[in-house]
Amino acid sequence: MEIKNKIFYLENKRWIIGSILFAILLLLPIFTLLYKLIYVEGNSFKYLLENILLDYSFNTFYLILITAFFSLLFGIIPAWLVSIYKFPGRNFLDIVLYLPLAIPSYIMAFTYSDILSYTGPIQSFLRENFYNISIFFNQDYLQIEVLGIIMALALYPYIYTVSRVSFSLVGANYINVSKNLGLSSFKTFYKIILPLSRPAIFSGLFLVLMEVLNEYGAVKYFGVNTYTTGIFRAWFSMGDIGTAIQLSVILLLVVFSIFYIEKYYHSKTKFYYKTNSTIQSLGKLNRINKFLAISLCLIPFLFGFFIPLIFILNNVFLTFSSIDFKDLLQLTYNTISISSISSFLIILIALFFLFIEKISKTRVNYFISQSISMGYAIPGAVIGLGLIILFAFIDNFFSSFTFLGSFFILIYAYVIRFLAVGKSPIKSSLEKHPESYDDTGKNLGLGPLKLLQKIHLPINKFALITAFIVTFIDLMKELPITLILRPFNFDTLATQTYEFAVEEMIPLSSIYSLMIILIGSVLLLFLKNIINKQVNVS
Amino acid sequence: MYLEVKNLVKYYRKNVPIIKKLNFSVKKGEIISFLGESGSGKTTFLKCISGLEKINSGTISLNNIILNNSNIFIKPQKRNIGFVFQDYPLFPHLNLKDNIIFNLKFKYLKKLDYMISLTGLENLLTRYPHELSGGEQQRACIARALIREPDLLLLDEPFSNLDSNIKLSMRDEIYKIIKETNTTTILVTHDINDSLNIADRILIFKAGVLQQYDDPVNMYCEPANCYCAKVLGDLNQVDVNGKTYYIRPEKIKIVKESIHKVIVDKCFFQGKEYKIIGKLYGYNWHFFSKKPVKKKELLNVDYSSEDLIFFDSMCNNFFE
Repeated sequence: MEIKNKIFYLENKRWIIGSILFAILLLLPIFTLLYKLIYVEGNSFKYLLENILLDYSFNTFYLILITAFFSLLFGIIPAWLVSIYKFPGRNFLDIVLYLPLAIPSYIMAFTYSDILSYTGPIQSFLRENFYNISIFFNQDYLQIEVLGIIMALALYPYIYTVSRVSFSLVGANYINVSKNLGLSSFKTFYKIILPLSRPAIFSGLFLVLMEVLNEYGAVKYFGVNTYTTGIFRAWFSMGDIGTAIQLSVILLLVVFSIFYIEKYYHSKTKFYYKTNSTIQSLGKLNRINKFLAISLCLIPFLFGFFIPLIFILNNVFLTFSSIDFKDLLQLTYNTISISSISSFLIILIALFFLFIEKISKTRVNYFISQSISMGYAIPGAVIGLGLIILFAFIDNFFSSFTFLGSFFILIYAYVIRFLAVGKSPIKSSLEKHPESYDDTGKNLGLGPLKLLQKIHLPINKFALITAFIVTFIDLMKELPITLILRPFNFDTLATQTYEFAVEEMIPLSSIYSLMIILIGSVLLLFLKNIINKQVNVS
Repeated sequence: MYLEVKNLVKYYRKNVPIIKKLNFSVKKGEIISFLGESGSGKTTFLKCISGLEKINSGTISLNNIILNNSNIFIKPQKRNIGFVFQDYPLFPHLNLKDNIIFNLKFKYLKKLDYMISLTGLENLLTRYPHELSGGEQQRACIARALIREPDLLLLDEPFSNLDSNIKLSMRDEIYKIIKETNTTTILVTHDINDSLNIADRILIFKAGVLQQYDDPVNMYCEPANCYCAKVLGDLNQVDVNGKTYYIRPEKIKIVKESIHKVIVDKCFFQGKEYKIIGKLYGYNWHFFSKKPVKKKELLNVDYSSEDLIFFDSMCNNFFE
């Protein structure tokens, strides 16, 4: 009777069942990996444990630590200065500090390894002009510490973005009260703004950590053995699929632990504070402090965007005569088309899940929504491995057709990995609108589909555009999934950049890197414009 | 009866019911005020009536059609019940006119001009919600609900977001519109003045239970319990022969000599008269005076024993 009652009271049953089935499809590769783990021989794990696991674990966590530390430094300090103070170039810096998001970590790593190398511009200049000093600089820069800083330069915008919004939204009243209670500007920041912004900063840091765990190109190039490179090596170089599965599952455990720490921390430290209703007035600085503020904001921009861009541009000019423009055009077309189609699908699917979560209000749909978001935390290599094992099994049933090596499987992997990226802006936009919009819609006679079509699509259109752009940029930069699952003879700008770089032909890879950066930068500037219209940040 | 609510029970957690066996009925064209404290389940009740929430047991029927019982549930889209929400949810991507005619059946379109003039929105049709004041938004929501000729109109705290000047004029306007369209209405509010001004009958609701359902005069003069009495106005407590009685402030007279002597704590001007708060036998008393009095002054007061109201022993719990 109780169950019958519960089913009677459940609204939108068909939608809920549809979302459960769809969620199972998205989680299938992970279930496959866990299932396959049972069949891996015990000796294989013993070998893993005794020989490589410790090394991989140490490197992975050490790299996470360095990248996290520098990302926080490069992200929080400029966000604080730009949000609170007025200084020359503030508006310009506020825009360009986002731009490193347009440069994938692996391009940053290739570029800096070239800049810092023996034949690179710094060491060449020092050798010609200051020979004694140049000896000191003649080092092997392909070290994990250098990699950590380089990755932080590429990833800090995740922290800058959330901190910038959060610092600006903390109500001016809190700041006025703390000033009235005698706190200095720094203490106000340290004791009021920073604690209130901690959940937002932690969610930005979570994205940085997931990117580090997922990173393949940069880590491989620097010769650092992490879980992700270990999966590739075991699988492709040694043909040891058992070790690859075990490493994937260990990596999944690490990722899920971080994921749940983030969720737990977020639920424990979520503050419900009043946001700014008026634009916060900006503090004034004296001449020395103005200079300091500009310098501190310039450092991440210069090293995270400007210098790599100049170096890449220089390489493009040097190799201009050998650029195959037909090939460049084709790869740009490939990249834009696969990223557009995938982004569009991701947005549709994200909207489908979020809308059902909103109208059904069941715990099942909340759980589904949380579970499918974990895809972003799962490294591309793990998703790739899971899908290959799954579809190798399915392909056995279809002798005339093979899924492996098709666009279907590539897009399937993109959807699993990037669904959370597309979901995030739509979710926060849906949450901003009052429940009474839905109730009014229903009261005025709208069914679920019309409610979506006539109310939610138009009032969330900016969030949908934002979601499309951030997903597109991430897909355009994506490397490990594309490397593993792309159809035969299908290249993108990212895979071509990587292939030239691993062949030690970085100058030739520059035009492809430049293309990624240009498309990414234009989209980011457009996105910043949209965000500025939507969020009243001071 | 037009609207019948029988044994309505609503809960989100079974051991914490929000509405416990509610029974009442409404006649066609009547305005009912549903009065209760914030968080007492008033909005949940309206959502049950409109179909936005399903009831756990009982029956709701409108115009002899069952809307919801243990086997039947008519979707909110099919009920033809107008609902004006507390936060005036006009869709932000539509202008005022498009909001009013949103998903409107063709047959109602001819009423647009009448409804716009009735609500005084003629010059605002092309404005978007953010360009409208709170009062204008509210009138637009009412026009949107009424143009559909609803069988029942539900108003959820329609005046709570308005400042006091506009509130009074809005209250009169809404009353005029509802009576002119002869729309059966349930007004949910926590403000007794709204109820007294608009309602034909008042339903007082506390702790999930109907306390009294009556017309305003009866409710004031013959409250069912001390909670209802207190809701409709100030009460002064007095012990006579070991029993506790209550008396309304306006029934207390200031006299030259009396055995009841009040020590004045506070005296303030209230427009027509001065309101006095003082102590009598350890209780706080409220009453009125034509002249101002000083703090600590001793006043002789008296009352007629016929004006004393007696309640049972549960009364003290209500005031806690």
